[in-house]
Amino acid sequence: MVAIIHKRSWRDFDWILTLLAIGIVLFGTVQIRNAQPTEPFWVKQLIGLAIGLVAMLAIAFTDYRKLLNLAPAFYVFGLILLIVVLIPGVGLRINGQQAWIRVPGIGQFQPSEFVKVTTAMMLARYFGKNRVQPLAVREMIVGGLILALPIALILLEPDVGSVLTYMPILAVVLFLSAIRLRLVVAAVIIGIIMIPFAYWMGVKTNAIKGYQQERIKVILDPENADKKRIGYHTWQSILTVGEGGLFGSRSSVEHSQSGLKFLPEPHTDFIYAVTAENSGFAGCLLVLLAYVILLSRLITGARRSADRSGMLFIMAVVGGLTFQIFINMGMALGISPVIGVPLPLMSAGLASLIATFIAIGFAISVQLRRFVN
Amino acid sequence: MKFEDTSQNLRARLRFVQVLVVMMLGALSIRLYVLQVVRGERYAEIAVNQRRRRLPIPAPRGRILDREQRLIVDSRPIYNVLMSREDAKQKNLFSLVEPLSEGLGLDPELLRDYFKFVDTMPAFESVVVKQDATKGDIAWVEAHNYEYPELRVEQQPQRTYPADGSLAHVVGYVGEISPEQLKQQVYKDKGLKPGDIIGLSGLEQIYDDYLRGKDGYREVVVDSKGRIQDEIEIVQPTPGRDLITTIDLDIQHAAEDQLKNSVTKRGVLIAMDPNNGEILALASYPTFDPNLFSQRITTKEGRAEYAALLNDPETPLLNRAIQSRYPPGSTWKVPMAIAGLKQGAITLEHSQLLCGGGIQVGNKFTRCMKQHGMPDIKTAITQSCDGYFYRLGLKMGIDGIVQMVDEFDLNKRTGIDLPNEVVSWTPSREFKRRMQPRDPEWRDIDTVYASFGQVYDIITPISLLRTVAGVSMDGRLYIPHLLKEVKPSGNPGTADYLAPVSFQPLDPSRPNPKVVPIPEDIDQTVVQGMWQVVNKGGTAARIQMAGFDIAGKTGTAQVVGLGKDVGKNKDHSWFVSYAPAFKPEIAMVALIEISGFGGQHAAPAVRGVYDAYYRKTRHEEPPGAMIAKK
Repeated sequence: MVAIIHKRSWRDFDWILTLLAIGIVLFGTVQIRNAQPTEPFWVKQLIGLAIGLVAMLAIAFTDYRKLLNLAPAFYVFGLILLIVVLIPGVGLRINGQQAWIRVPGIGQFQPSEFVKVTTAMMLARYFGKNRVQPLAVREMIVGGLILALPIALILLEPDVGSVLTYMPILAVVLFLSAIRLRLVVAAVIIGIIMIPFAYWMGVKTNAIKGYQQERIKVILDPENADKKRIGYHTWQSILTVGEGGLFGSRSSVEHSQSGLKFLPEPHTDFIYAVTAENSGFAGCLLVLLAYVILLSRLITGARRSADRSGMLFIMAVVGGLTFQIFINMGMALGISPVIGVPLPLMSAGLASLIATFIAIGFAISVQLRRFVN
Repeated sequence: MKFEDTSQNLRARLRFVQVLVVMMLGALSIRLYVLQVVRGERYAEIAVNQRRRRLPIPAPRGRILDREQRLIVDSRPIYNVLMSREDAKQKNLFSLVEPLSEGLGLDPELLRDYFKFVDTMPAFESVVVKQDATKGDIAWVEAHNYEYPELRVEQQPQRTYPADGSLAHVVGYVGEISPEQLKQQVYKDKGLKPGDIIGLSGLEQIYDDYLRGKDGYREVVVDSKGRIQDEIEIVQPTPGRDLITTIDLDIQHAAEDQLKNSVTKRGVLIAMDPNNGEILALASYPTFDPNLFSQRITTKEGRAEYAALLNDPETPLLNRAIQSRYPPGSTWKVPMAIAGLKQGAITLEHSQLLCGGGIQVGNKFTRCMKQHGMPDIKTAITQSCDGYFYRLGLKMGIDGIVQMVDEFDLNKRTGIDLPNEVVSWTPSREFKRRMQPRDPEWRDIDTVYASFGQVYDIITPISLLRTVAGVSMDGRLYIPHLLKEVKPSGNPGTADYLAPVSFQPLDPSRPNPKVVPIPEDIDQTVVQGMWQVVNKGGTAARIQMAGFDIAGKTGTAQVVGLGKDVGKNKDHSWFVSYAPAFKPEIAMVALIEISGFGGQHAAPAVRGVYDAYYRKTRHEEPPGAMIAKK
């Protein structure tokens, strides 16, 4: 394959983006090892990085337009994976969720992570034609349906956290597909008014149960919420982050919040809390900065895209990644509810890691072909 | 951007998305700053505290020894199963009742009750689930560490007392500090915490600070389930210091034998060295088993046992030596004789007063046991002539009697180093006003009563002993006490060396001894009178001992009407004594409740203890030893 890549490709290759992504993964691997020193998660993560890089290069040097032409096929394949995972005996049930498929040799992987990519491709393809008119209602409905199929299947697992990360993908695509601004403004205003009102109504009519209210309280006032049960994860994560201080905790790895298992799921959901404990405010800011640069590089790539579908795909990825980063870190920092959303590139998990690299490879492919037409 | 269409504001929309991305991640950095920099230290402290546990290592309590350092009270190591509240917090306490009662062989009802109690005491970090665990219990706890990580086994010293109740009232007992005590500043100042074992009675209470020692601790790191992962620090406990008491176990056991074998098995016998106030024996019967409090009180049986003790009409928990008041009867004549002579109501030259078989005051005739004619003071003591002392009392008047009471400290606590000593009731005008508000005036008949140890004279055995021992010592009244020495601890010259501590009056303002000025000839006259009680045909002649001059005074305290010695309503029998009469080494008081005449019951009991003392100090069989009446 390398033979067919001409010189200009190497020159235009987004090295900053690639190195940043590799850097975040390596830093994350260190934190995974801190979180679970006795488990082989960090080794798996390195294997995942290798696979991810190969996949990224393969896609980067493939013409993304050819891939987008195949988007419906990928999309259907993704849906099949989501159906397969629901078949008893094939899909693995962990913590009440049937969201994993066992792959001999590698372990297990989560199809919903890959389907994010195929769904984004499908959306980019559908909304990618040149546009002179504002977004039509019919187009919105079709976009909604493209999203609704995988979401419905994922809800059967059920994995609400994953479903939430699909939403911003469509939102960004619609926003950049000339949806009328007044619709956006109206949606935002209605959201701002309706959410507290709906909550108030829910409490009044008892549709929102006591424990659900407690979950909200955990976010609003973690110190006075139920720290032993419902608020346990959030409170322990806050403590872990706080203990990190400016430059990291003085406790040894064995005596750390994760080492003593006070912090649950330290290598996946709460990897950022582990990072905070070990590297402090300084390390956390660096990680945030790395993500900001990475996302900015992607947006720059989108802006330079040769066509609308390439731009839309990259921006859909940006939307998905940003939302995931925000929710995951917010979870660690006690400002968003605990839903199982991995931190892209840092949380241990092959599917998320490889899917992210596939998306980045796609973005590089778009960039590499910006002058080709 | 070739596809760009200006009407779509695409460039602006992309810019907007980019700004939104930066703002969202920027907001996270602000939150990070708040959590890590602003509140970091506080969270770090909470985080560190939740993984640290301080497990106390109980200090071994000091032993209690007799004056020859023979063992009275010791501790033995036992194993307790404890439950950490912190680690059980995620569980429902009551869901543990069934598995724990099954695994550890506990009564589920009792455990449930205990958990209910524990639930109201949030301050208790660890609670004892099972005391004195067997090897099987320990193995069970270890085998179930995964299911019940909140359980742990800890070694703890448990107090063991003489099981027969010997010295129970003297040594007292220990127990868990009560919630009420924890609220008091005294205990707070000592740094005591829930679950600590402290002295609750007797010497254990008075000298608790010496005996208790200082607990050490293990600072450990636990995981989220409470399983110990690491040990950070270990501070060894400082053992409590041994207490050497003034008790002589040989004398003590002799005294206990006398009470045990007395007719009613109820009474008190105290032996003291009149030269310094050291108590050689203090027995109060019936007694109880203090192990109840240190070992069994948390069990169902233990509670029932305690309730039975509290409701026992014979009041075994009462230390009769210091907490019961009895009319002294004729033993009262000893201080009366001294005071009568001292105050000049009678003189050594002219001490004869009429017996008259009694006395008529107003329309009331108060009789004497016999017709004694016109005895002098010695004879009046020897024969215990009531008629003589009625008249002496009238000569002294109530003011003279009050002065006597005051001089001999009879209206004060003796200051013995035991808790809860009561004050005797002694005659005074105020006392009558309080007792008989309908006839508050002090009359001559009251003086008559007050002068022969009835009605207005209701005193503790210990205060009578102190007074009479003082008479034997020419008026030097020592504070009776049980502490000989708190043993030194550590090596001399080192920083942690603690010098031995000897007895100090609990009230430092009290002189020890208190000296009652008694002219020698007066004192010797009374001493001779008391010598005659035993050695010259007096009321206790039966206990005479050749070659060992016992001086004493019998007393018969009325429980019912005067002289009506009928049926089971007998009188309290007293004997107060010292020996050798003219160079005293030991003073004793005995009281046998509801038994009859002093000369018949109390005096032989005292003689039995003298025999033991003689055997011990003279290394030979006492002449005419009295075999304790079985």
